[in-house]
Order: sequence, then structure tokens, then C-alpha cells
Amino acid sequence: MPAEFGATPWGKAWLRTIEPTAVSRPNPLLPKARSLARNAAVTLRTAEAGRLDAEVSARGVVHRVAIEFPCWSGELSTEVAGLVADAAPVPGDLPDGLEATLTRRGADIAAPAGERAADCGCGAGDGPCAHVLAVLYAVVQRIDETPALAVELRCRAPLQAAADPDWIPLSDVPVEGFYGT
Amino acid sequence: MAWWGVREPADLLAETGLPPGRPAVCRFAVPVTDGAAEAIGPREVPVRLADLDGALPALRALGRRRRAETALGASVWAWREAALLAGDDRREEEFGALAARMPTAAHCVLGPDGTAISSAPALLRRFRQMVHTRRELGAAAVRADLRPYQVTGVAWLRALPETGGGGILADEMGLGKTLQAICLLATRQGPRATGPHLVVCPTSVVGNWARELARFAPAIRVIGHHGPGRGLPDPVPPGAVVITSYSVLRADAATLTEISWDVAVFDEAQQIKNPEALATRTAARIPARLRVAMTGTPVENRLDELWSILNVTNPGLLGGRARFRQRFGVPIEQRRSATAAKRLGALVAPYVLRRTKSDVAADLPPKQFVTVACSLTGEQARLYRDAVDRAFTDGLGTGAARRGRVLALLTSLKQICNHPAQFLGDDGDLAGRSGKLDRVTEMLSEIVADDDRALIFTQYRVMGELLVRHLTDTLGTPVPFLHGGLDVRRRDALVHAFQTDDAAPPVLLLSLRAAGFGVNLTRAGHVVHYDRWWNPAVEDQATDRAHRIGRRGPLTVHTLVTGGTVEEHIARLHDAKRALAGAVSGDSAAALADLPDERLRAVLTLGEEGLL
Repeated sequence: MPAEFGATPWGKAWLRTIEPTAVSRPNPLLPKARSLARNAAVTLRTAEAGRLDAEVSARGVVHRVAIEFPCWSGELSTEVAGLVADAAPVPGDLPDGLEATLTRRGADIAAPAGERAADCGCGAGDGPCAHVLAVLYAVVQRIDETPALAVELRCRAPLQAAADPDWIPLSDVPVEGFYGT
Repeated sequence: MAWWGVREPADLLAETGLPPGRPAVCRFAVPVTDGAAEAIGPREVPVRLADLDGALPALRALGRRRRAETALGASVWAWREAALLAGDDRREEEFGALAARMPTAAHCVLGPDGTAISSAPALLRRFRQMVHTRRELGAAAVRADLRPYQVTGVAWLRALPETGGGGILADEMGLGKTLQAICLLATRQGPRATGPHLVVCPTSVVGNWARELARFAPAIRVIGHHGPGRGLPDPVPPGAVVITSYSVLRADAATLTEISWDVAVFDEAQQIKNPEALATRTAARIPARLRVAMTGTPVENRLDELWSILNVTNPGLLGGRARFRQRFGVPIEQRRSATAAKRLGALVAPYVLRRTKSDVAADLPPKQFVTVACSLTGEQARLYRDAVDRAFTDGLGTGAARRGRVLALLTSLKQICNHPAQFLGDDGDLAGRSGKLDRVTEMLSEIVADDDRALIFTQYRVMGELLVRHLTDTLGTPVPFLHGGLDVRRRDALVHAFQTDDAAPPVLLLSLRAAGFGVNLTRAGHVVHYDRWWNPAVEDQATDRAHRIGRRGPLTVHTLVTGGTVEEHIARLHDAKRALAGAVSGDSAAALADLPDERLRAVLTLGEEGLL
């Protein structure tokens, strides 16, 4: 049975930034954060390079959460994009072995806790609140479903978009000349 | 072809000579006003749908008019060009140019998730596939009038990725999956076949496949590969269809995995839903250019089964099994992840085609009849031959005595076709002993999995009890039996529950005679006649229980017929009688008694076609 959070090494990399193995006293907010993620209280609005936006509903109140974090350098990003393209993964997936390769090349899969800037509408004081942690748990799960997201969150270089030439997204359909002449 | 865009298209269509089609609603992306700005958004648009057969010649004929003289839009003219080009395989470049200048309105059909429209090249490609498929089916001498959705299905099968890829045809039972697969095989004959074709199916449908192939594509060479003493010609000729069962697939894995097949069809693909089963592992090793799995059970919602079947048809598509669990199984099944479900849906959508009866209701008659050819098991064949031999050896006599003995013999033979346990009166295990029982069990499992309902008619109380016992066990739901021994109150309660209670068992058994009074069971989508009654009017009357006014959606009537037996003789009599439009006919069973021994024996001797 795969783990509930961090079933893949990609998700696990982010999980370790919330649940560091080297800490002797666990963060008392974690059980609540896990419970929020588990019970679908988190809605991820954006998950893109350097930024996460989400809404967390807890006890009938919706909190807006924004988390910002640094991306890899341009050079490293280009290198990673090349390695990902070489691995030619199943859409959305990445081979687990690639995680170790990227880490060896100096590409930290997850943004370290110290480099993240989080903001939550709940206005709680210092350190990440349970809502911010819940968003991170939700991201861990999302990455387990789509390992490619782990790279998308950190990479500045354009990744080989798996755009399907057979379909045109509505946002790309021009209004002008729609009916022809 | 969908005509749309003007308020009342019918007048314009009539004026321009285009077929009027039938009214329907399509989901298109069209310009909509969003506040002050115009944007593209999804809308349900009233259209008129015309079949390609009528639309193509009419579009081509449009050229006799000058474009400026009609109110037809630029889209119609673009599709006219497509219709002109589609007749010719060599116009690749011109199709590219047409795609580039087609107005968006000509290809604004929304994809399944409603967030994107088909690109012009993709839609033109599908259009050409449809036109080609129609033409090739004509050339392939398939003796069947395909319904429009079936042509779509064949075109879809032909467009699946080749060289080791494939897909799942998952149409609901009764929509003609076998026919669509046969059409695929029929268009891959002669120089188009890169090798022989393989059909793997449960033993209970081997006979049905052979019959349908002979009926719809008699030119195809069919090689049955089952039973003791089986053997394949070496080499198996290209284009020939080898029909085998899953048990033979397991037993003859070495032989079957050595042949380079063109198309491999895995029918009743629930048989390969367990990835660890030997049949599944063997199926995955069958070398074929194109692999098609067929099942009537919805597969999208049973993730382990979906993985297992797609791992046979499209290896690598979903990744390894453990990874699939991590990425989809656990997220979807344990935490109901909508994102994971959506992504999986998008990933498999190109490789799974499922239509339900309600999806294609416009193409279906309200009542359709399907003959389900079944085979005898070894035990049945032995009992059947013994009964015939004994009767003629003992002598049938003359006059009234003869009549009595012939009727008794006919009854025995019908019982043997039903189930050896009915004939012998034993109470042992029932599975695997009767071709009909095994087939009906598979059919009902599928119907129940589809959340549909079925009525099964039998004329024998004893057979009904056997069916109740067996089906209750295998379907995991109680199966009530409405027969003459029940009092009226109890019968009414059964009928009422079947008609109105959502929690009531989805399968109801009825004795043919007891159902002859005014019961109304319109909730069933399927009627199964387990055995044959001499008079077709009695069967028709039973069928009509399910087809009173008030039945919503089409009804499928399945009649089980064991090949080469007295049942087939009865089926032929029924066809003849129905052809007389209900004319009163004599007592067929008694008429048989009047035949001289020699001719009677010719009718009753077991034919080859029922044997495996």
C-alpha cells in the first residue's frame, strides 16, 4: 500500500520539508494540517514555477494561502529540462531514478522550508500555520499523482509541453474570423 | 454532418438540396459576449444531423450553384471541399491547405472535457477515416447494414495506433461489438493483412464468433482452434481468423505466441482483468500489430481491471502497475481525487470507446432481436447423441404412440440443451456443464454491472429453479422466480418491486406460461429467452411484457440457440412462421411426429456446428 503522503520520491522530497527527519520534536500543527488535506479542505488554484495559491476551508471559514519560493537558476533549469526530455516519460510522470540524478546535479526537488515565503489569511503569528502546511500536504499528494509537477514548480526553462496538436484550448481560439468569409 | 448557425436551417437546406437531417443538440465553442468583450465559450447549439451517406453527394453537388447566391456559410463550403477531396487518397497536401483555411466555425466541436476544440487537421483526419471506412466496408463485402454508430466504431478501430498498440471497444451489450470487430478484420484481408488474425473469447461464445463471421463476412477463412486434437496449419494464412478460447490460450501459449498476428481480439475482456492470471500474462505476450479488447462492462471505474486490460492492448500507456497504484489507484479510490480521475480519463480516452444504448438511441430500433449462438459441452453432446440413438434403436412406433414418443424425445433434447442437470435431475455443480447456462451467466453479469435490468423466460419450472440457484450464487444478488405456483398476491409483489423498487434484484426469472397474463415489466432493458417454445406467438407475447407503452429506451431481446440441435430447428420454424405474418400454423411438434424415421432422424441428429 503506497504511503498517503509522499508515495513517490518526488512527493517525498516536498514532504521532507514539512516533516524533516532530523527534528526531535514534531510540529504540533501537522496532524491538523494532514487532516485538512485528507478531507479535501484544500483547493489548489495555481501551482506554477515559484508559486502556489490555494484556498483552505476550515470550520466554515475560507483562508487564502499564497506560498512563494525560488526556482532553480536559469542554467540549472535548462539542464533539468534536457534531462527530463531525455527520459521521455509517460505524460505527467517522471521516472523515480531521475529524482536522484537531479539531486546529484544540485537541483533540490523541493524548495527548502527556509526559502519559502508563505502568507495566510488567518493572520496567525510566526511560522507556517496549519493552513499553509495543509496546502503543502496537498501539493505532496498532487505531486505523487503527477510527478512532472515537481519539476514544473522549480524549473524556469520551458518544459516540453505535451500539447496535443489535435485539440485547441478555448483560450487560444480567436474570435475574429470565427465564421469565415 | 451537423448543419447549424441559422435560425431555421430546414428551409435553407431544402433550398440548397442538402439533406434535412434530424434535430439534435451539439456542444460547440462559439463567440459569446462576456460583458463588453467577445470571447469563445462552450454552448449547446441546436443542429440538424445528417448521415454522411446522404450529406456527401449533396455537398459535392453544391457546386452547380454559385456561392454568392446562397446563404450557406463559409463552413459549409469548406466541408464541400473536404467532401470532394475525400474520394481520393492522394490529396494529402490539399487537405493540409484546406485545414489551414477552414474557418473555426467548421471545426468548433468541443472535446470530452469541454475545454478545447478539435483542430481542423484532426477533424479532417477523422472525416477521411469515416469516408474511407464506408468505402472499404463496401469493398470488403461485409454483408450487413451497419448503423451509423457502428461505422463510427469501425472507423475508430481502424484509426487505433498500430504496431503493438490498440484499444478497448466497450460498447454496451447489444450494440454489435462483434460485428464491428468483424468489419475491422474484413477490411484487413489480402495485401492489407500483415498476418493472420486471432480472436480469443470464452468457450461459450466460440460458436457465436464462427457463426457471425460466416454470416457477415463469408469470404474470410475461419479456423477454429479448440477442443482435443486441435491443430493449426503451418503457416496460418494471412487474413485468416483463428478463433480460440481463453483456456486454449493458456494451454497453447507456446504456439500462439510464436505467430506474428495482424489483429488480436480479446473478447469478453473481463477474462483478462486480473493481471496475475495466466491468461492475462499470455495475452500480453501475443505478438500482434493491433490489439483490441472487447467488453460490455464499463471499465473506466474499476482501476485495477482497466490497468490490466490496457496493459494487454496498450502496454506502457499507464506505466507499471505499482506506479499506476501510486498515481491513480490510491488517489482516486481512497481519497476521491478529482484531478487524478480527470487526468486518467484524458489519458485513456483516445483508447476506450464506450457507447450506451441511450447514447445511440436515435440509431436503434425500439426493439432489436439478437440470436445468441451457444455450443454444447462434451457432457451435453454425449447425452444428446445417446438420447437420439436410444429413441431410434428402441423404435418410435406408429400412430398415437409414435406421437407420444416423439414428443418425449423432443422434450429430452430440449432439456439436455438447457442443462444436463435438468435432464438427469441431479443437484451437483452447474457451472461448465451447459453452453447456454455459462453464456447467460456472462451476459447477466454484464447487464447487472451496467445497472440495467433483465427478464429471463424459461418454459420449465425445474430449469427456472436451477437458474435461480446458479444466478443467485454467481451474481451475488437474489434472483426471484415468477411462476404459476405462486399466488397472485406474491406475483403482484414481484412485478411491483421490479418496476418501482430501485433496491429490487435487477434480474427476474419468469416461467413463460405464468407471464402470459397482464403483467407489465417495462423497466427491463433486456429480455432473454433461455429456451424455445414451439409457437413464436407465445415468445412474442412474453417479450411484449417488457415492451409495453411506457418503456423508455430501446429493448434488446436475446434468444439463446444451441447450434446443430433441435433448438436450431425450432429457430428456423419460427423464422418461417413469422414470415407468414402471424398466419395460424399447425402444431410443429406434432408435425415432426408425422415425418418418417429417416427424415426425423436427419432433423434431430446433432450437427457439427454445435460442437466445440
